[in-house]
Formats: sequence, C-alpha cells, structure tokens
Amino acid sequence: MIIPVRCFTCGKLIGDRWEEFARRVRTGENASDILDSLGIKRYCCRRMLLSNVEIIDEVLRFYEEAEKRKESRSFY
Amino acid sequence: MNRTVIILTIVECPRQVKIEVLEKNDTNLRLVIKEADVPFMNALRRIALAEVPSMAIDEVVMIENSSILQDEIIAHRLGLTPLKTDLNSYNLPEECECKSEFGCPLCRVTLTLDAEAKEGIRTVYSGELVSENPDIVPVSDKVPIIKLAKGQKLKLEAYARLGKGKDHAKWQPVSMCAYKYYPQIEVSTEDCGDCGAKCVNICPKKVLTVKENKVEVRELLACNLCMDCVEACPKEPKPIKVGWEKNAFIMNIESTGVLPPERVLQEATKILDKQLAEFEEQLKEETEK
Ligand SMILES: [Zn+2]
Ligand SMILES: [Zn+2]
Repeated sequence: MIIPVRCFTCGKLIGDRWEEFARRVRTGENASDILDSLGIKRYCCRRMLLSNVEIIDEVLRFYEEAEKRKESRSFY
Repeated sequence: MNRTVIILTIVECPRQVKIEVLEKNDTNLRLVIKEADVPFMNALRRIALAEVPSMAIDEVVMIENSSILQDEIIAHRLGLTPLKTDLNSYNLPEECECKSEFGCPLCRVTLTLDAEAKEGIRTVYSGELVSENPDIVPVSDKVPIIKLAKGQKLKLEAYARLGKGKDHAKWQPVSMCAYKYYPQIEVSTEDCGDCGAKCVNICPKKVLTVKENKVEVRELLACNLCMDCVEACPKEPKPIKVGWEKNAFIMNIESTGVLPPERVLQEATKILDKQLAEFEEQLKEETEK
C-alpha cells in the first residue's frame, strides 16, 4: 500500500529513503548504486525498497475523481 | 630436621577485556573485543536487542481520520517511527512512581498530528508530529505516515512511552547487533600451487588477493569464516588455513537512531549488572531462610 516504515526483518528505518529512491530510479539511475549511496547495506533492507509498489497512489486516484465529480455537480 | 619449602608462584591470569574501536559514527559502532567469551558477548547482544529501553508511540487517540488507511494501520506506522530517546529524564511506566495506567509527565510524552489536504494529494510526514517535549521527536522528519487526497483529514493524539524490545520490536534500539569470531588466516606460500587463484576468486568478501604471484590476506576483518577458500583449494594438504582467535570478537552495532550505539552498549552492561545484583540478593534471601 505505502512504503513500510521499517525493514520487516531487521527493523532499520527505511521509510524516509523511499522518495529519494523512487525519484532517482525514475531518472534512470541504477537501483543498486542508489541503495549503496543511501547506506542501505543488508539485502533484507534493500528488498524493502526494491520490491515496494505504492498502491496508495492508485487508490487515491478514485478519491480525486470523486472529489472532482462532486465539485462539478455543485457547479451546475 | 630438614624442611623443604615449596614456593608456589601464582601466575596472575590477565583477564581484562580489551576494546578497540574500528569504526564509529552516529548510528554505527564496530569494535574488536579481546579477552571476552561467548556467553558474555551473547548476554550483551541479547540485552542490547531486547532489554535496553527506548521511546516509541504506544497509544493513539484518533480524533478524525477520513484517510483511506484504517486507524490501526496509521497507529502501527506511528508506533514504528523511531523517536529520539532521553533515558535520563524518563522512567519506564512499570517502574514509575505514579503507578498510573495513564502515565505522568515522567513516563509519557504526548505528540499531536493535525493534517488536512487542502488542494490535491499530499503526503503527511513524521516531521509534522508536534511533541510536547522538543527532545522527543522522530529520528527522521521524512518518514511518510500517510497520503491524503483532497479534502481528507487526519487528526490524532499519540502517547509515547519507554518500552523494551522483548515486548514489541518498535522498542528495539538497534537494527543490528551481532558479533563474530576474530578471524585468523594463514597461507603458506611454498605449498601453494599454481591453480589460478581459486581461493581468491571464490571469497564473497574479497578477503584474499594475489600479490607478486603470491596469495595474501588483503582484509582480514572482512572474513566471515565461510571456509569457501579452503574448499576451493585443489591441493592436499591445504596450504590455506582459516580459523579464529580464541576469546576475541568483532562486534557490530547499528542503532536505529534513538540512542547513540555506544550508549546502547553502556545501558546493556548496566542492565546486566542490575540483573546479577538482583539474582544475588534473591539467592541470599532464599538460602539463608
Ligand atoms: Zn533489514
Ligand atoms: Zn509516571
């Protein structure tokens, strides 16, 4: 749904690195190099970022659309 | 009358722990500990993981939540967010003098969060938590708590308290606390054949290297004693010997940021001390009845 706050296995804080990771991956940088530069060494923590899909973004779209429809309805 | 005098010389056994710092920064501490044994190292490791207290959000009162995540999930995320801990001015709730289930200013910190998405999607970060004590704040300001769509609101009050890792992993002050034996590698170059450096290439930690056609140890401390290099060697008997030093360890502590790693170890030794003192007292009481 949304990036977990900590690594499931070891408990390292990884939630705060997600946005930088996602942004840099989108610019085409190598994921392994990004993880190294973020200081995420163990493979338990690396898979947390590598395998995350922000489904919340997909779900939020429905709420945005609903809001837009509500606005247009009150406009007419 | 003859008397022989036998003088017994008592050799004093030097068993003082020697510590050497290999690496130290805000979150990481790497030590070489000599003249210690496995039970002792393991006791310290387990206490650092499970018994050193740290601060985490434990109770959340939801005032308004119109976001798409349930109250429980948000509370769980808040609980896992590490908070900077002040062990000197806060008590464990079970040891606090107030004896109250709601806590008092000495064993509880209140944090509030009030966020609303006024236009478009917005992410609520841990930095938006407002603490009553400016010293007890999230370790990182950039942990996403939730994403809100336009018009959604999140308003809550959270209560943080000290706790121990054995009760919930959110109170663990370390994300890694491990030790290994101090490695010892011997390569006798005379017996070493010309196999194309099989032992050098197989090592996952790149411990060995070839220098002037001789196998040499490049980084001894990286060795994790996997013995792959010994197995890869085609010669018999093996010219490469991998072993470990008796009573010497490499300890690695990685803090989640709640406490400095050296403080975690200091607290662990204090707790071990306290437990032993309690044990001794009990033993005296029970045996002298
Ligand atoms: Zn991990
Ligand atoms: Zn109290």
